[in-house]
Amino acid sequence: MIACESLYKSYRAGHGRKRVLENINLTFNRGDRVGLLGRNGAGKTTLIKMIGGVEMPTSGRIVREMSCSWPLGFNGGFQGSLTGYDNARFIARIYGRDYKDLRSFVEDFTELGGQLRMPVKTYSAGMRARLAFGLSLAIEFDCYLIDEVIMVGDRNFQLKCHTEIFEKRHDRALVLATHGADYIREYCNLAVVLRNGRAEVYQDIEEALAIYEAL
Amino acid sequence: MSALSEGWNSQIRVVKALMVRELTTRFGRENIGFLWMMAEPMLFAVLVGVMWTYLKGPEENGIGMIAFVASGYVPLTFLRSSFTRSTSIFVANGSLLYHRQVKVTDFVLVRVLIEFVGATMAWVFISLALGILGYIPVPAYPGMMVAGWLLYGLVVLSVCMVIAPLSVMSEVVEKIMPVSVYIAIPISGTFTMASWAPPSVRDYLLMSPMVNTMEMIRYGLFGDYVEPYYNVWNPILVSIVFLMIGLVLCRRMRRDLVVE
Repeated sequence: MIACESLYKSYRAGHGRKRVLENINLTFNRGDRVGLLGRNGAGKTTLIKMIGGVEMPTSGRIVREMSCSWPLGFNGGFQGSLTGYDNARFIARIYGRDYKDLRSFVEDFTELGGQLRMPVKTYSAGMRARLAFGLSLAIEFDCYLIDEVIMVGDRNFQLKCHTEIFEKRHDRALVLATHGADYIREYCNLAVVLRNGRAEVYQDIEEALAIYEAL
Repeated sequence: MSALSEGWNSQIRVVKALMVRELTTRFGRENIGFLWMMAEPMLFAVLVGVMWTYLKGPEENGIGMIAFVASGYVPLTFLRSSFTRSTSIFVANGSLLYHRQVKVTDFVLVRVLIEFVGATMAWVFISLALGILGYIPVPAYPGMMVAGWLLYGLVVLSVCMVIAPLSVMSEVVEKIMPVSVYIAIPISGTFTMASWAPPSVRDYLLMSPMVNTMEMIRYGLFGDYVEPYYNVWNPILVSIVFLMIGLVLCRRMRRDLVVE
């Protein structure tokens, strides 16, 4: 289970503070697939970062009773100046995994070949997504946090994600921030609409999508 | 209890991984960065030592000039680079904070550890190279020298724990760092000994943890040729105070830190 309990988040902006999220309450369990909806700047990334422990809430708390991936997104998680292999080695070390197993899975999943010997800053968004997914799938988390990035992959990557996440790991939890309504419709059983800093949770995906499209 | 030991193991894993990563990014696979880290203090010690030898004579109060300069300059380079490298440390490493087990304090610890290891190696290298030529003596009390050096490292670490979060909270800290290190040289014990100062000044000098630890290092190196003044508790207490302030500041800063 992961629970957000009355989360507030504000950022320093000039002399005052800008409130991004207020009083967010959200609980989900293993097997839940949570779709995060909201306009640009509604706080989707911020919420995912807080669930992943990358940024801290201004007040409130997050209870994590299952292991949770780092937010897989366009930024973060990697050292740009290091190669794909070096990043994999670093991540294997800090998560206490065997590097050889991790490497063979990543080589297999990402199909990046010799590119893994290049610095990550030279990667395209799709290549970064492949690396991030490869590593986090190799580590095996109970909950995966995905910030948009699944959308940038090509057809081959989307298919791989489908088998690895939605078929082989269907018992895991997933939080998915995306503007792709089809994704949410196909995979999610819970939807959260963020507007004006508040979160509304819907069991009915179609209802949530209708509200999101009217925003 | 098992949660505690799991936390400890995870921390050890992170520190090790960060050390390896820092070494590969800093010194690369092809360049000779680590060699420079050792060569630079040696060059300084020899050149300044030679200059002072001409200006003041080959010995000062019975101690070889080159040995004296080197024993002060190696710790100073460690202090200076630790301080400057602690500023903006979280911005540079931000992307690693995506992994929850990586704590901001790990960055500071690892930076200082690497500088410490580098400076220790520099000293070993210099004292071997110049020792063979007879310019640097074999340490008279090695235990004392090591104790002084470890305490020196502890003080630098604790101050860095304060500098690092402050540099995020205010840009001024980063800007004034080089000049404040420069101004602090007279109270760092780098190029002087407490026994050379008149007693009234000496009391003030001995309030500085850097002076206390440098006295220990020099006493360990030169033995009874020097007359050391030190109090072991001064650096210990100062570091505890700085560490506590630093940890509170780190926690505060982390709560507001924007991770890209």
